[in-house]
Amino acid sequence: MRRTAARLLTGTALAVVTAAGFAAPVQAAVARSGSLDVYPSTAVPGGQVTVNTAACGDPGAAAGDASAVGAGPFTLAPSSHDGKAIGQFRVPPSAQPGTYEIVAQCAADGRRVAGDLVVVLTSSREQVYPRGSVKTGVGGALGPDPVQTAAGVTALAVAAAGGTWLLHRRARGDGI
Amino acid sequence: MRRVVGDTVIASVTAVALCSGVWLLHGGAGTQAPPQPSAAEARPGGADPRSAPALPPSPPDRVRIPSIRVDAPLMGLGLTTSGSLDVPPAAKKNLAGWYESGTTPGETGTAIVAGHVDNAEGPAVFYDLGAVRRGATIEVDRRDGGVAVFTVDAVEVYDARDFPDEKVYGAAARPELRVITCGGEYSRATGYRGNVVVFAHLTGSR
Repeated sequence: MRRTAARLLTGTALAVVTAAGFAAPVQAAVARSGSLDVYPSTAVPGGQVTVNTAACGDPGAAAGDASAVGAGPFTLAPSSHDGKAIGQFRVPPSAQPGTYEIVAQCAADGRRVAGDLVVVLTSSREQVYPRGSVKTGVGGALGPDPVQTAAGVTALAVAAAGGTWLLHRRARGDGI
Repeated sequence: MRRVVGDTVIASVTAVALCSGVWLLHGGAGTQAPPQPSAAEARPGGADPRSAPALPPSPPDRVRIPSIRVDAPLMGLGLTTSGSLDVPPAAKKNLAGWYESGTTPGETGTAIVAGHVDNAEGPAVFYDLGAVRRGATIEVDRRDGGVAVFTVDAVEVYDARDFPDEKVYGAAARPELRVITCGGEYSRATGYRGNVVVFAHLTGSR
């Protein structure tokens, strides 16, 4: 009996996945392109992938589906900052090279977003390291500070006004 | 009598304004070069201290260095045609960047963050980077909602003509972070002589 129930459940799950698979190409046309960020966008079998989307509102959860690449469903939970829904999955070690569509459906309004994951066999994250020093300054901090210059000019203007007034008084013979 | 008091006040104000005006225009206290690390902040010998477990890759959104009051958004950086690390637009003084073709902060390997020490208007995001001390904390907000916490191992200054690429950018067996800005001597003709580089490794996450 229990086995029958399990089989029934499996069957239902398969039907849902299959239905989702058939529905996907139709819905993909209305999915907002690029609204599911996949990082890294190129991964190797066995690699971990993080996806996030801001399309589900703030805070928004979503149901992710990476079954295209063989990783199955995963959850996108609301992030503690910037209101994005974020989830992770692992590319199966048996995954074949190719481009796969990763999808997520917002829990609140059912909106569907998608992004591409490219699977390669050798790590294209074979890093190119930067070379040499970095040009991150022009010496602007060493020159006169504009605020300070303005304050100095203002102070000298006050001094000039005061001096003029005093000289004027003296010229009139009022004495100081 | 009242006039004499008034004159005295005006004479004093004039004198003070004259002195402070001259002092301000002459440079005042605001034209010092950015702080540079002392030899005591250099990398100690011996084995590297243990690091926290590596995090899965996730791009960073923000960097914070509480000891020098840095809290800045991060943009992705590539390489220039000469192969050096590109830099954020100089006009945005509180913007730093990270090398997005490299390791993400918290992942095993060497993640690289860079920002300006100054721009044409004055000090920028990493003006005080040379004042960071060993043991200071650097936090990086990640897009997966987590925060990678790094502890500073060393702060060094390198001349651009003899830049130790491997030491600064090379691979690491644990999650490490470099924070880079301009530094060293400054000359009007050639700009800053090199870079201040902060070396840190992952010590926690939340």
